[in-house]
Amino acid sequence: MCRRAGAVAVASGVLLLGGCGIQETDVIEAGGPASVQAFVDRDYDMLLFFHSRDGGISPVVRSTGSTFEYGPEGGPVDGQDPTGADAVPVPTEKVVLALLSGPDEQDRAAGLSTSLPPAPRAATLRVEVPPGGEEVMADLPIALDGLGRTALRQLICTIAYSHGADGRATVRLTGRDGVSASGTCGLDPASGQRS
Amino acid sequence: MTSGPGPARRLLRGLSGAGGRRRGTDDGTPDDGGAPGDAPAGRARARAFGLRTRLVFAFLLVAAVSAGTTSALTYREARNALLKTAQDTAVSSFRDQVQQTGWTLPVRGEGLEEVLRDIARKGKPRPWVVFAEYGSVRASSGENPVSTVITPELRRAARAHPSGSFERVVKDGVPYLTIAMPTVLRTGPEGVLPSGLVLYAVMRMTDEQVNVDALLVAARDGALPGLVIALIPGLIAARSVLRPVRELRQAAQSMGSGRLDTRITVRGSDELADLARTFNDSAGKLERSVRELREAEARARRFASDVSHELRTPLTGMLAVTEVLDEDAGRLDPDTARAVRLVSTETGKLAVLVEDLMEISRFDARAAELNTDEVDVAETIRKTLQNRHWTDGRVRTELPSGIRARLDPRRFDIVIANLVGNALRHGGAPVTVSLRGEARSSGPPVLIAQVTDSGPGIRPDVLPHIFDRFYKADAARTRSAGSGLGLAITQENVRLHGGTVRAGNLPGGGAVFTVEIPLRPEEAGG
Amino acid sequence: MPRVLLVEDDPSVREGVELGLRRRGHEVRVAATGEAGLAALAEFRPDLMLLDLMLPGMNGVQVCRRVRERSQLPIIMLTARGDDFDVVIGLEAGADDYIVKPARTEVIEARICAVLRRIDNTGQGRTAVEVYGELAIDRAALSVTKSGRHLALAPSELKLLLHLSAAPEQVFSRQQLLEHVWEHSFHADARLVDACVARLRGKIEDEAGSPRYIQTLRGFGYRFGPL
Repeated sequence: MCRRAGAVAVASGVLLLGGCGIQETDVIEAGGPASVQAFVDRDYDMLLFFHSRDGGISPVVRSTGSTFEYGPEGGPVDGQDPTGADAVPVPTEKVVLALLSGPDEQDRAAGLSTSLPPAPRAATLRVEVPPGGEEVMADLPIALDGLGRTALRQLICTIAYSHGADGRATVRLTGRDGVSASGTCGLDPASGQRS
Repeated sequence: MTSGPGPARRLLRGLSGAGGRRRGTDDGTPDDGGAPGDAPAGRARARAFGLRTRLVFAFLLVAAVSAGTTSALTYREARNALLKTAQDTAVSSFRDQVQQTGWTLPVRGEGLEEVLRDIARKGKPRPWVVFAEYGSVRASSGENPVSTVITPELRRAARAHPSGSFERVVKDGVPYLTIAMPTVLRTGPEGVLPSGLVLYAVMRMTDEQVNVDALLVAARDGALPGLVIALIPGLIAARSVLRPVRELRQAAQSMGSGRLDTRITVRGSDELADLARTFNDSAGKLERSVRELREAEARARRFASDVSHELRTPLTGMLAVTEVLDEDAGRLDPDTARAVRLVSTETGKLAVLVEDLMEISRFDARAAELNTDEVDVAETIRKTLQNRHWTDGRVRTELPSGIRARLDPRRFDIVIANLVGNALRHGGAPVTVSLRGEARSSGPPVLIAQVTDSGPGIRPDVLPHIFDRFYKADAARTRSAGSGLGLAITQENVRLHGGTVRAGNLPGGGAVFTVEIPLRPEEAGG
Repeated sequence: MPRVLLVEDDPSVREGVELGLRRRGHEVRVAATGEAGLAALAEFRPDLMLLDLMLPGMNGVQVCRRVRERSQLPIIMLTARGDDFDVVIGLEAGADDYIVKPARTEVIEARICAVLRRIDNTGQGRTAVEVYGELAIDRAALSVTKSGRHLALAPSELKLLLHLSAAPEQVFSRQQLLEHVWEHSFHADARLVDACVARLRGKIEDEAGSPRYIQTLRGFGYRFGPL
């Protein structure tokens, strides 16, 4: 009897003392993320995707308000822009060219870089949207062969978000070398895919 | 046995003292010393885990478990609620703060710390330290741009899932709440886009710890008085159970000490009442059978006593005229003379037998009285031998003078006379009577009188019965000079003095009877 | 030969003892009851009375008291062992000695002679009257006076007093007194001595509770004086 009683006493003691104080916890999910306003004006701002050192790709906002904002190598090429510099919203071709021109100083300062090769000087670029609107087809002035996954995602996400605010469109890319690739961006957690 | 008669006799005389002494310590010390020493220790051990202790302990245990469990559960609930409130407040207000802050993408390193400090200041329920991670940008509202508290798991979770999460971390004994808040970019009415910016808030939970500790103290302070209070019903319950048990014990004790009319008052109808009833029934039956036994025994004793009384009166008349018969026998014809002498002799024996029977029945009826007087023991023994005319070479004595004792001289005379007479009849001369006093470690000193004979000794099968009434060691010698009650009377007389008498054999042959009588029987309660 | 009055109710004992004593030359008168025994006293004038304790009607103790009211006739009680209580009462009532039944005639006669002998033999060799305090002991006349008044002492009382006072301040154990005064065995009943001392003190002491003449030494015995 004493042995049983002792066991009970010990158990209750453990129960009593085991919960004392504040314990560590595992990582607990608590609500959604913070959705921030990054002053994205779809009419004048572009969303470009560069990758950070950890391999993920992050959007940056680049305004088209004035031409001096373009870097020397990323500057717009007039005449080849079928929709014109002041077109609203910013034409996808212009966005892709901005992407190909690479991160600017601020982007680099934030540790962002690109996996894409720079576009040639006289680059031609055509973006078509077939009827239905769920697909975007882009002929790129660069060779797709040899591009990594990150580079392709940079292109796809940039084109997808330029085409639609939700960025869910399927993007078909065709390189100068004739190599083609397609995919969706999938960064939006609501689309059910994880990057 | 193995040595010849000559050395054996010398050995015998030398050994009589030593043998007796060794026997004395063998018989006395272990039995007397062992039993009373063990009993109280055993009882004390039993008491330490006695019924009362166990009942109270069980009560306390039940109280402790219930009070403890209640306290623990209440405490846990309260603590969890407290922490949850603090955490929820922190997480949601952190999210709000982050959302209310304007961000540029890419996030710029310069000026970022200012923004973070701003958020940190508005921290609820208490200021946080806010860390921001974006690309390779690391900034914080505190001194170090990177927190040492935030765990890789939290970072990984924040990177993997665009949802707020927190983790409690205890570092160096201090609990921290760490919150990870990834930010997303709202690109449209439905679309969101992880921005790559993750904000972390770290909050010391010292206030919560203080509160939780206070809760713990409250729980403990609530439980302990509960325990103490539980002791009271525990003791009361133990009492209510133990009272009948104690009554039972007292009743059993009282019965053991001979009060067979002891009964227990039966209260209620529980198991203890059943036990009490059973006890009463058994006690009743026991009392009845003991009474019957006693009555039968008393009848038997009375009968023996009555018979001897009735025999005595005619014997007195007969004994008075035996001399007449003896004197005139010579003048009768031979056959008549033989018959007359036989009647005379047997009348004498009958008188002795009747006298012994009466003595025994007085012992049985506990009517024997001890008329003690302080005497010189050696002189008393010498007088006994003188009165019986055992002063020739047949009886040797080793009687040191100076041993005085309170004895009933008449009874002590019978003891010595019976032993010496028995030794002369059944053993063989010379008979040695020795006397000595001996100190005892426990109890008063004793006087030891030993009667040793030079006969063949007592057969082992006879030894246990040597003091029995009418026990004849030799079946062929059915009638000896003694009544057959001599040694029984001797034993009773020694017992009446509070002493013992033992029979044994010497190593070299020869019986030895040892009488031990406490030198101060009145102090020993005799 | 001494004249013995035997008071005994049981015919066989009466006849046996009478026969035994008569054969030894004693003149014996028997009485079956206490009353008859008392009645025979004046006419028979015995030297000694053998008195059974258990008598129908008037018992032995009452007879003993009645005798002591008038005379110091030596009285020996006949008793059975086991009737211890009666022995003490009989001794307190004034009996000089007792015999346990059953007893051989030689034992009875020896006791009779012992009781009578000490009366005859005391005082030989001493003639002068010894004076101890208020007590005057005349060993020749076998008389004791206290403050000039004659004391009626039973034979055993007188013998005891004479024995003790013969050696003043000497301690005698009960056993010694039993042997010398009563001629009993060493192991006989010491209550005989105690009862006799009590009776003697009642007669010679001023206060029986704090005796001057016969003093007790606990554990040893009695002595005469010191005054």
